[in-house]
Amino acid sequence: MHQKLAGALLLALLAMSPALFAQTMPKVGDMAPDFTLKYAAGDDLKEVKLSDYRGKKNVVLAFYVFAFTGG
Amino acid sequence: MKNFQANLKTLEAADTQVLGVSMDSWFSNKAFADQIGVTFPLLSDWGGKVTREYGVYKDEYQAPRRVNFLIGKDGKIMEEQVDKDAIDPKKIVDACARPKLKN
Repeated sequence: MHQKLAGALLLALLAMSPALFAQTMPKVGDMAPDFTLKYAAGDDLKEVKLSDYRGKKNVVLAFYVFAFTGG
Repeated sequence: MKNFQANLKTLEAADTQVLGVSMDSWFSNKAFADQIGVTFPLLSDWGGKVTREYGVYKDEYQAPRRVNFLIGKDGKIMEEQVDKDAIDPKKIVDACARPKLKN
């Protein structure tokens, strides 16, 4: 009985969005996942697409926890 | 972010674009950038899609961990710094300066 329930729970979990699972960090040597994100420049909202830098510039991607915190 | 700003000239001289990323709104990030004098873009990953794709989302914070990735011109990851190690970006600044020394 417990096993059946556990099995059903597992299936339910697997069916949920992969975004719910902690995904692993890409490793050194892996391709960096592409993205498009926005930022405010003056009064404008600008878009940055990672792959636009391909062949032109290195990119430092610095994730930080919250705005208005140190570091 | 201030530490990257302090090294921005070195990084730019090595053909490197710095991008900050958080799950804050773009207007919070703008205010933050203005307050601490950051001149590079602070990108808003509202909803955390990119944060999760990079595997840096932390449930405890409901926000990203502090992680720096150096991505080469070929789109591949060259260096990584995680949590406390990510506060001082020296490893990444040095990695950027290295190929320059060879020229």
